Amino acid sequence: MSSCNRRVRALFAAALLLLPALALADARVEARRHFKTGMALIADGKLDAGISELLEAYSVRPHPNVLFNIARAYEAGGRPAEALTFYNRYLDAKPPDADKVREVALRLEAQLPRKVAEPDEVKKPTERAPQVDEATVKRLDALAERLERAVEKAEARAEASAPGEQKAATSAASEEDFGVPYEETVVAASRRAQATLDAPNAITVITGDEIRASGLTSLADILRRVPGAEVMTMGLGSANVSFRGFNQRIANKVLLLLDGRPEYQDFLGVTLWSVLPVGLEEIERVEVIRGPGSALYGANAMLGVVNIITRAPGTGAPSEFNGLAGNANLAGGSFVASGGDKVRFRASVGYQQGDKYSRDYAQARPDVRSNIDDPNLGLRTARANLTAFYAFNKDFSVALSGGVNRTFTELYALGLLRNYYLDGTGGYAKADLTAGPVKFRFFWNHANFDAGPQYEPLGQRSLTTSVDTNVFDGEALFQKELSLAGTHVVAIGLSARLKRVKWGYIGPLTEELHAAAFVQDEWRIIKPLTLIASYRIDRHPLLDNGKPGYAQSPRVSVVVRPFESHAFRASFATAFRQPTFLESYMDIRTPVPTVNGASVLTQGNRALKPERLISFELGYRGELPRLGLTIDLTGYWNIVSDLIGLSAVNPVNPADAFDSASNSFLLGRSLFSNDGQNYTARGAELGLTWNATKGLDLRASAALQSVVANAQNGVEYAGVCGPCTQAPAAKVNAGFIYRTPVNVDLSADFSFVSQTTWVEREPSPSDPTQIANLQNKLDPYVVVNARVAYRLFHDKVTVAVVGSQLGPNHQEHPFGNSVNRRVFAQLTVQP
Amino acid sequence: MKNVLLALALVLGGCEAPTVFPGFDKRQNLSLGRIEGQVIVNSTARGRIILFLYDATRPPPPLGTGRPLTFTVVSSEAVFGAAIEGDSGPFTAPFAFSLVAPGRYLIRGFVDANADFIPWYGVTADTTEGDVGGAAIDPTTRASRIVEVGVDEAGNPVPALDVPVSFADSARLPIDRPIFSVVGGMSSVTLSGTPVVIELQATPIDEGVMTQPTPAFLVRFLDDDGDGVPDDANGDGIPEVWPRVVVRKVQQEGSPLLDENDLDKNGVVDATGVDYEHAAAASDGLPDVVVLAAGFNVAEYASQLVDGTTGRVKTTPTAVPRLKLVLQPRAFDASTPAGPQPLKAVPIGRYAITVIQQTGQTWRVPNELGLEVPGLPLVPSQGFVVQVQ
Repeated sequence: MSSCNRRVRALFAAALLLLPALALADARVEARRHFKTGMALIADGKLDAGISELLEAYSVRPHPNVLFNIARAYEAGGRPAEALTFYNRYLDAKPPDADKVREVALRLEAQLPRKVAEPDEVKKPTERAPQVDEATVKRLDALAERLERAVEKAEARAEASAPGEQKAATSAASEEDFGVPYEETVVAASRRAQATLDAPNAITVITGDEIRASGLTSLADILRRVPGAEVMTMGLGSANVSFRGFNQRIANKVLLLLDGRPEYQDFLGVTLWSVLPVGLEEIERVEVIRGPGSALYGANAMLGVVNIITRAPGTGAPSEFNGLAGNANLAGGSFVASGGDKVRFRASVGYQQGDKYSRDYAQARPDVRSNIDDPNLGLRTARANLTAFYAFNKDFSVALSGGVNRTFTELYALGLLRNYYLDGTGGYAKADLTAGPVKFRFFWNHANFDAGPQYEPLGQRSLTTSVDTNVFDGEALFQKELSLAGTHVVAIGLSARLKRVKWGYIGPLTEELHAAAFVQDEWRIIKPLTLIASYRIDRHPLLDNGKPGYAQSPRVSVVVRPFESHAFRASFATAFRQPTFLESYMDIRTPVPTVNGASVLTQGNRALKPERLISFELGYRGELPRLGLTIDLTGYWNIVSDLIGLSAVNPVNPADAFDSASNSFLLGRSLFSNDGQNYTARGAELGLTWNATKGLDLRASAALQSVVANAQNGVEYAGVCGPCTQAPAAKVNAGFIYRTPVNVDLSADFSFVSQTTWVEREPSPSDPTQIANLQNKLDPYVVVNARVAYRLFHDKVTVAVVGSQLGPNHQEHPFGNSVNRRVFAQLTVQP
Repeated sequence: MKNVLLALALVLGGCEAPTVFPGFDKRQNLSLGRIEGQVIVNSTARGRIILFLYDATRPPPPLGTGRPLTFTVVSSEAVFGAAIEGDSGPFTAPFAFSLVAPGRYLIRGFVDANADFIPWYGVTADTTEGDVGGAAIDPTTRASRIVEVGVDEAGNPVPALDVPVSFADSARLPIDRPIFSVVGGMSSVTLSGTPVVIELQATPIDEGVMTQPTPAFLVRFLDDDGDGVPDDANGDGIPEVWPRVVVRKVQQEGSPLLDENDLDKNGVVDATGVDYEHAAAASDGLPDVVVLAAGFNVAEYASQLVDGTTGRVKTTPTAVPRLKLVLQPRAFDASTPAGPQPLKAVPIGRYAITVIQQTGQTWRVPNELGLEVPGLPLVPSQGFVVQVQ
């Protein structure tokens, strides 16, 4: 290696070595700010100052296109030698436009005198500054020699902090790695990488850096920072998440995807937020679509989509240990290994446990027994996951992954049911094949749980059960860019899903076969204007009054970017949630509390219509990188209909009053049915992020909403509107991350949720055979989380103290735990 | 710094159990006990066993008019298993009443030999011919036993365990419930200033879930003092008899199945309700249980109720198909059953007639059969009401 190259690399290395001191809150945001500033300076003719900013951006977070821009700036500035150096470095990253750039490099080489064309010579400062004496050159050479030894090491660390991009610079990279540097990209909104500004939905991205800086152990808690998100913690391992209202026990209107694979539990229609086969430390970013997503994702993406994207195999630190221990028996640990060359992999194992926030009953009561061995246990999960990737060439690749999770957790069930336990094993296997413009995905989701009420009255018939569920899914996605009266990016997808559920609550093995097709066209008509039209049709085996039927989900969005970094968005979309197995097939007899001889028959309904959403949305997103400010403002108007819920308890025919299966008399029957009432939800969401100064990120969001029951045929709704009173009118979140220059990291976040009134079904205290909806007023509450961390040994070791739920004890649902403080120590080691 | 580290260590090392927090759930905020025991059946009857729990202060008919607080079912399979026909046992099986508040209770039950008991309707929620009665009794004295869910020194409920409930063929019911209709096909009778006599006719109903083909009134004179002479405890010159009758005011509007001031149907006077002026004083400010002065005139059966040889009243009842009911234009507040208070005037409104047999079987008119209740036969005579104007 030439001394010049060594020197240039040494300069990079020096910058990289400074990383711990130049502590950054969010590397991407910080790098983007430098990049934008640098480009502006270059445009103003301040070449050296601008390039200095670009180098700063590169040192914060390496990105090959920064090298390209530096090269172009030098070239435009009449300094072909420097330009050639940076073009060559750019070519090292094997960019898609390598051929074209190589031609430019050859042309520049031709412009240079032979002696300066030698790479070793090109970057010698003395060539541009002949006044530097020999002694200075020798000192620089010595410095370069010394720094060179640290180059590999430094770049390895840079790779760890920016795995995707750095890997792209050293191996086969995807096209998205060569997009606009540091521009926030998302894949959830359109099933392909695109700038957040181009997304047709309101979308929020939570980066892996943010997650790690929060120290939180629950993804649901982290989602509180998403504008409009409603996170309802019932217990340590039990949370319900919704967007824009309609949260409930067993919240079922948000689709959680893990690398594109749904974590939605179809048998129950619930997401077990605390039971993922990967750890939070493996997450690259979380993309949250606030609003309908059925046009691309089909059923259940009704109020939002949460798409977790994990670190690509082979990227990031080669190994990472995490451990935590805290009060309330909170303990856990994980190990992640990542590496490989041709075949890249990421493997992880993890364990976590913790006590409940509170218990519903004391021990050794004369009336109630606990059905679990350790009644204090709130969550225990042991997991393992393996993901491998192999690229045959630029166009063909395969990714295989699988995971297993042995879990004990809580779940707050519907109707008269309360706190359930789930004790069992979940797992998945997945294959992603890329063949040019076509991507295939196959997965198998499996869960096998014992479940039942955590507490049951002594002497009462037990409702413990078991569930065994398997979901097989296959999808083909074709994407193509073409020109026709503008630029089109067309996506066409086909999918099929087989669900098999064997569950004591629904009877024998039950199967459903689903199929879907979708198409989307992103049509860039003229430069600032993009029209996105999507349409999806889902075939469901029961949607036509118990027979196979179809649900259609169109979406039309217009995105206008009149100025760089500013986007205005208007969209119309529909979405639906299909009936779950629980809602279609349930058949259980729930004992009437205090009346052992009586039960309520709760039954599914195969003639259910899907829940429907019609949504109108206007949004603005502004990214002001020079200020480090991002603004996200959204207003929405949602009409929700056909909500599925349990009917009132209606008498059964007297001839059928005695049920021999339960040896009890049926007080009545409650049937899952569609609510004939329509609801309108209106609201506005504001999200701000501000990279205020080096190392300091501030974040704030606020959401206001109103849910009302619509008048029917001119008659105002007269009943108690549960969905209206259960939706908090105001939600506020604010927080910061500060990575100080002295290796201490600070972060905190604060959430406020306004008062709600929950309408829940309970037996009358005076006559348990009278079951009615009772109103429970829930006070406003505040959630506060904070973390203090200290980085040691060049960030290889981080120790932290994290406090979650530091605000006053509170309930987030009338039947939920008294949520209280958790304080724990965290240790992270990246050897 | 040391203090900070110490505090941190204490926080992190804390292993305290989660606090108990019941939340808003009404049930989770209660501290209750339970009653468990065994049913012991000496009978050739077969069927599921229905057990009722009563407040000891409000016993069921024939001792009172109390209604069950709760009930439970013991399956026939659990009790009798594969026992051969004719085997009279004893057979045993466990039972439980869950979530029972501290208090004193009575347990009654029966073997539902006809499998025709349905708890949700008045017309089906009683014993019928062939059922075998039972109760929690003291094993020594064979007297009815009061089962107590106590409270320990810490204030925690103490469950009542190992409670035996016995059933025997000696308590087999010989007859169906006293189903009646008012002779004459009237839908109502009006009571104003003078007494009214109506005649009740035992009326078999054998349709749908109602399979009671052999109703009758079991009549006998009361002779609690055992002197062989009919008792006349109230001194009105009319001897008291079984069956007894209660004519109670029902709610003013809406379903006639709900008694006034007991709209939750728990047999206990509601906390708030209608109050009437008493004869002795102004209204007491409390809801009243308004009943009419009424009784059966059994003069036409008197000779059948007395032993022709000894001249003493018979101790066994005589089944008769008809009874004359005398309704007096006088009303009482029976909210204190032991000392009903006369009212100044007879409250205007609708009244229901309830006949109570010595066996504890009852029948009330109006009932669900007089209304259009899905799944039950419609019997217009069962909609009869007494109207006071």
